[in-house]
Amino acid sequence: MSAPLLKLDQVTIRFGGLTAVSALDFQVNDHDLVGLIGPNGAGKTTVFNLITGVYQPTEGTIAFAGQPTAKRKPHQLTKVGIARTFQNIRLFHSLNVFDNVRAAMQVHRTHGVRQALWRGKAYRAAEKEVEDRVMDLLEIFKLGRLRNEDAKNLPYGDQRRLEIVRALATQPKLLLLDEPAAGMNPTEKAELAGLIRSIKDRFQIAVLLVEHDMQLVMNLCERITVLDYGVKIAEGTPTEIKRHPKVIEAYLGEEQIA
Amino acid sequence: MIPGAKRWLVVAIVLIAIVSAFSKQFNSYYLGIAIDVGINIILAVSLNLIMGHTGQFSLGHAGFMAVGSYTAASFTIACTKHVPESAAPFLLVGGLILGGLLAALCGLAVGVPTLRLRGDYLAIVTLGFGEIIRVVFQNMEAVGAASGLSGIPNYTNFFWSWTTAAIAAYAVAALVNSTYGRGFIAVHDDEIAASAMGINPTRYKVTAFVVGAFFAGVAGALYAHHKQTINPTGFDFMKSFEIVVMVILGGMGRTVGVIIAAILLTILPEMLRPVAEYRMIIYSLLIIVIMMARPQGLFTLRSSKGANT
Ligand SMILES: Nc1ncnc2c1ncn2[C@@H]1O[C@H](COP(=O)(O)OP(=O)(O)O)[C@@H](O)[C@H]1O
Ligand SMILES: [Mg+2]
Repeated sequence: MSAPLLKLDQVTIRFGGLTAVSALDFQVNDHDLVGLIGPNGAGKTTVFNLITGVYQPTEGTIAFAGQPTAKRKPHQLTKVGIARTFQNIRLFHSLNVFDNVRAAMQVHRTHGVRQALWRGKAYRAAEKEVEDRVMDLLEIFKLGRLRNEDAKNLPYGDQRRLEIVRALATQPKLLLLDEPAAGMNPTEKAELAGLIRSIKDRFQIAVLLVEHDMQLVMNLCERITVLDYGVKIAEGTPTEIKRHPKVIEAYLGEEQIA
Repeated sequence: MIPGAKRWLVVAIVLIAIVSAFSKQFNSYYLGIAIDVGINIILAVSLNLIMGHTGQFSLGHAGFMAVGSYTAASFTIACTKHVPESAAPFLLVGGLILGGLLAALCGLAVGVPTLRLRGDYLAIVTLGFGEIIRVVFQNMEAVGAASGLSGIPNYTNFFWSWTTAAIAAYAVAALVNSTYGRGFIAVHDDEIAASAMGINPTRYKVTAFVVGAFFAGVAGALYAHHKQTINPTGFDFMKSFEIVVMVILGGMGRTVGVIIAAILLTILPEMLRPVAEYRMIIYSLLIIVIMMARPQGLFTLRSSKGANT
């Protein structure tokens, strides 16, 4: 068997006295759709920041496609195939919808300063191709007609979907979604679930989903990992997780598990 | 045919050439101001790349200008005796490129160590850089120290000033309006999101500083061959500040707005000449009033930077 797409090995990170993630073992295989859940402050976003190189682990190692990610910068990890969305939306607010996605396309661009200045034939062909790909992606998410809108003026749900489109524009092998359904209404959530599934099939990528909406996670994910206070307390199929005593305990008083 | 944006550059240069063919008939005072306008457009447009698009608050633009100015002037002064008069335009272009390149090198020297700094801190450090440059020239005997350089040949004319301005405006607009160039604005908007999208913020910031400094150096070179004398005080903090005001008034990152602001802020002080004593007061007051009335910039119509800004 080949190496898993993503492998966290005994990963720990401390912020001063606080151990945000503790000795986490975790893995994602090609074309997986796995969930990472846990109460607020459990360390889920921190795990994303570790995987994407925003934070370096205090202990332990992370490998992507068999290569250790240590010391690699976020933009370098994006280039090799890790993309993400943000829990608190971080779109480029002075760019329109189209350009938000186009900006993300530059990671695999064929041109730089010289070509942008000279604007030769090859450059123009490449730019046309980028434009087509941006529009294709936007259409899949029904954002095409909003292409000239300012990203910051979109309704909440559209902003969340635009973040996913933007992440996909980097052509990832692994897509990390941080609470993509937050702030969405039930109709939008149902639509989002369908979209996530179709992304996975259509682009042949693995998806790691952090989400607070239990029903969504249980319906979508093949495998779920549960964090509490930075510690992995359970791992398994949705049915196993629902019945897991530690999970029920962790969520007691938080919300009902669907 | 020449495609797209490049066509506009060619049209602009042809128009400039036509106008400049009649430039002998203009009042030389107005012609001088027109040349100043061209130079200030270059300065404003190049700072706009650093500050307006990439969001790096720089108060050292006059420093880059000084480097270009002194480099080009020294070069042409040294060469002018050894070549026939007809070679003047070549000497000027040589001086522009040389001045631009040396300024770009300084841009690299400033850009790299200051990358970690943000906002106010970057402003202070670039301000310090500009002052260091000025003090260095002030103490450099080879370039006249405090009294400056004089006897610089009068090579800059309307054609060169405005053609270079057109090229600078084209360069910055073309750079930013590309898939590659959207990265400058992305870095400005949100560095963390930008790097998560595969954009290398460091790379973009340094590129903005280097390209911006290059054109500031070119503007300085034109300035030297227009005024014919340069001295360190001409490149002090006030000059940097003047350019910053142009970029802010023009609406930070809006090429057309910044060009209009550069034109207005060059002409305005000239119009205020009759009231000499109150000139700076009126000028400053006008800027304060404009900034309070239109904090988003004088010429901002739409709320976002669309594909064509
Ligand atoms: N940069 C940081 N500095 C200090 N503490 C942090 C930092 N990032 C996260 N934390 C802490 O780590 C814990 C986990 O946070 P987070 O990963 O955002 O939780 P979740 O996403 O599961 O809600 C929280 O207690 C949070 O305050
Ligand atoms: Mg979180």
